[in-house]
Amino acid sequence: MLGYDSKRAGSRSFFLATIILALGAFALLLPSPGAPAEPLKGEPIKIGWIAELSGTWSFFGATGLTAAQIAEEEINAKGGILGRPVQVIPMDNRTDPAQAASAARMLDTQHKVLVLSGPTSSDTSLAIYGYAEQNKVPFVVPVAAFPRLTRPGTQWTFRVEPDAVGWGYAIVKFIEKMKPGASLALIYSDFALQRAIVAGIKYQAERSGIKIATDIIFPQNATDATVQAAQVKSRNPDFVMVSGGGAFDVTITNQLLDLGIKPEQIIHPFGAVKMILGWGPRSVGSYYGTFFDHSLGGLNDYAQGLITKFTERKGYVPAYIENFCYATVYLIKEAVEKAGAADRVKFRDAVRNINTKEITTGIPIIFDKNGARKEFMYFLQMKDVKKDIYQSKEAFYIEWDPEVIPVYQLAP
Amino acid sequence: MAHRRAAVVALTILALALPFLFAGNRFYAFILGITYLYILWSSGMNLLSGFTGLMPLMYAGLAGIGAYTTVNLVMKASVSFWLAMPVGALAAAVVGVVLGLPSLRLRGFYFTLSGLVIQTALTMLFVYVPQFTAGDTGISQIPPPSIPLPGRTFPLTGVWLEETLAVAAVLTVYLVRWITRSTLGTYLVAIREDDLLTEALGIDVVRNRVLAFFISSLIAGVGGAFYAHYMGFVSPRSFDVLTSLNTWLIVGFGGQGTILGPIVGTLILAPIPYLLQELYLYKDIIYGGLIVFTTIFLPRGVYGSFLFYRRTRAAARAAASPKPEVARS
Amino acid sequence: MTLEAILLNGLAVITTGLVVGAIFSLVAAGVTIMYGTIWLPNASNGQFFMLAALLTWSMVIGWGLSPFLGAAVVIAGAIPFSLLLEKCLIRPFYNVPNRNIVYFIMTLGLAQIFAGAFTGTYGQWTDNYSIPAAWPGALMIGPFPFPRTRFLVLLVSFSLLTGLFVFLRLHRVGRALRAVFQNREAAILRGVDVRRIYRFSFVLAMLVITTGGVLFAMAYGFDLTMSWTMAIIAFAIMIVGGPGSVLGSVVIGMIFGFTQAAVSLFASPTLATFSYLVVMLIILLVKPSGLFAR
Repeated sequence: MLGYDSKRAGSRSFFLATIILALGAFALLLPSPGAPAEPLKGEPIKIGWIAELSGTWSFFGATGLTAAQIAEEEINAKGGILGRPVQVIPMDNRTDPAQAASAARMLDTQHKVLVLSGPTSSDTSLAIYGYAEQNKVPFVVPVAAFPRLTRPGTQWTFRVEPDAVGWGYAIVKFIEKMKPGASLALIYSDFALQRAIVAGIKYQAERSGIKIATDIIFPQNATDATVQAAQVKSRNPDFVMVSGGGAFDVTITNQLLDLGIKPEQIIHPFGAVKMILGWGPRSVGSYYGTFFDHSLGGLNDYAQGLITKFTERKGYVPAYIENFCYATVYLIKEAVEKAGAADRVKFRDAVRNINTKEITTGIPIIFDKNGARKEFMYFLQMKDVKKDIYQSKEAFYIEWDPEVIPVYQLAP
Repeated sequence: MAHRRAAVVALTILALALPFLFAGNRFYAFILGITYLYILWSSGMNLLSGFTGLMPLMYAGLAGIGAYTTVNLVMKASVSFWLAMPVGALAAAVVGVVLGLPSLRLRGFYFTLSGLVIQTALTMLFVYVPQFTAGDTGISQIPPPSIPLPGRTFPLTGVWLEETLAVAAVLTVYLVRWITRSTLGTYLVAIREDDLLTEALGIDVVRNRVLAFFISSLIAGVGGAFYAHYMGFVSPRSFDVLTSLNTWLIVGFGGQGTILGPIVGTLILAPIPYLLQELYLYKDIIYGGLIVFTTIFLPRGVYGSFLFYRRTRAAARAAASPKPEVARS
Repeated sequence: MTLEAILLNGLAVITTGLVVGAIFSLVAAGVTIMYGTIWLPNASNGQFFMLAALLTWSMVIGWGLSPFLGAAVVIAGAIPFSLLLEKCLIRPFYNVPNRNIVYFIMTLGLAQIFAGAFTGTYGQWTDNYSIPAAWPGALMIGPFPFPRTRFLVLLVSFSLLTGLFVFLRLHRVGRALRAVFQNREAAILRGVDVRRIYRFSFVLAMLVITTGGVLFAMAYGFDLTMSWTMAIIAFAIMIVGGPGSVLGSVVIGMIFGFTQAAVSLFASPTLATFSYLVVMLIILLVKPSGLFAR
């Protein structure tokens, strides 16, 4: 079919080709040097950490992994878990659900991990959720907020972060307090997370008397928002909820500010550190939701330790993503100790019945029958942004039950 | 001729026995399952690219249609996999023919290009019709097929699932082999070599191409359905351009136009992404590099070059020896 | 809608349409020159576009060069790169009769290599790339701020396209190129060194595509999926405009650019891309020589 000069496929080429290929294959199959030996003895307790190390959500995944690894080192330095070392095994899911499912399978069958964890994106988490529930592997989700992760009937999955529909609820409550009866424009990317937040916003907005001025969605790989920013401006909303996927969020924010939207009008549902630094000095005065921030008062030793070590390694301060990943590793440690063995069923039961506090903030960790945690959120206002550091001030705090609004219907 | 028959039988027995040999290690068993799946898929594509001379870049999209149809029937309408799969395959075949028919008149590159366009359109469809496909988030927890026995249904898991895939792969290879030896097969090869001449000889080129397209798309759909229920998860990215391209690579690299070629290609290439999980970063580079390499150095593929080499050697020997050689059948 | 709203939206569509359309035209012109002259359908044109954009980003963000200098470096670097590529991968097939399929498959493989390379390197650092404005500030068109950098990009792309056009019509080498488009054998008879023309047109086309990538990086932020999208759009423009016709690329390129901007107003931009695919398919089936075929 390629049908050209047949002399090319002559015998010499063939042999040459085979030799090259064989050498190549041999080189690839050589075992890669393993990790350096652990100082602690005993079979390590393995946590399969499937994170977004590349792709749209790489901002979140890579940074969470570092925090998890800090926790891993700290725990091993203090004697490990039940005298055995803990091992966080990272795998990249490339922000691709199919890849996430594949990684889950690999960690389960090849590495035989005790528990899966790691994802920060809802789409990838859902893929791992499907595998975990089908194959009975405990799955503790540190940073992914899609409600379906703990829908009724969930047996093996636990969600540490409050659910996204609830964030929408919290945002409306916050706006209500700032300006009752205000109008809100929505501009966001089409990911499961954003869809859930918007569902929560719309549900609560009806009940709180907040008007939705406009509702603009971008496809996942959008890169320009000029036209859409103009649309938002033309509606003259009191507030704008901005949530782009990955770094596109910064682009949308800048284009809105270009057109004359004021920072005080902008509310981001969540703010990872790289995003906050990306919004930059132009965004001083805008609001973002979070669950942990170095600007908050009353931080304990673990929190201070995390902030110091993390800043040393990465050059910027940790925020809620890093905190959740760090705290999740400690949570897993506590559950294994409570279970008394590295057994999947015992571990799962231990997590189900756990009643403890987040190691860095003291906020309670209790899971309901579906694995959803009692929920809370802060809203902070940006006060100062430099190249590697920022300062914010607390503007609002709220706590609520996972099912204060019908989350599972709103985000099926 | 007899030892060839024996070889075929031996290979079949080996193919059917392997799942039991690997039953203990779920990881290697999974790689074996994926290999069977790709043998099935690549044999289907081989029918079109190797034997008919058309390069179907929309193959993965058609597999996706088969997959999503079957999954929706099984998960939303509680139809048994064994009924849903043929429906899915048929859907893929119909879509394939409907979309492919107008472009079958096109020569060479334009046909390939239209295949690329249709594939891109299909991928977009998968992403933007979430009612049917759940978009980029994908569909998870897809149940494995089960056998309805009197009293209870027996879900095919573990070694039995790989065995099912083995059977499917073997049957597909036999099917393609049978087709290539039939009249249809001869016509297809004639069309591949010179379609104008074949038309002039009174053979309906378009009709035969359509038939080949239909069968090939059917196989694509079957493969898609099995893929979905084996992996337990599908998303639009499972069925995009790169999948079509990599399936072509397996066929081209192994040797298109031969029956064993795709099998050789699959055995070498399919396990790579799984065995070399640490090198996942290089997977695209490796595959892309192999495509470039194959186009330049190995257009006949590994097995194809081997056959060619053997034949040229035999011909050279025949020319050199004084006795006339009996033609091999 | 208020008058201000209409103006804002309308001006956004017009300006975006002009800039995006110009860049589409540039890339499509490069692709069509390659196909028209050498019979090389370059499926990795999107990846080269992406490479140019990423390298510019690296120069500015990584090495701290000014965007203008970064752009110049990347465009200059495209010449030796194209020459090398031509020598190793393209030249071997010049005399092969159905080389367009071979080229197509080979460039698809090349595209996959680049895609993998980008994910493995750039993809690990960040997922969205934007360069600070080369010419800060904005021109006010009524209520609408038009960033100066985008205006500059618009001027440069139009000048380039005009220059390309003039070159092909009036300059000796340009006309030789068009002679080879139309009839290779006749061109040989008239003393044209076809192989050198091939090499020249490949390098020229690559330069045009590279410049398109550089200009895009200066005007907009982008992510890695843009390469495939641009490749499809470039092919669509080439097919609809007519392979080998630069005029066709420009006209259709501008139309597609405006479609993109207008569709973004009320629906997802992917709908626009989908419509290009449909149009391309229709043209392929009904009038494969394209609308502006000579």
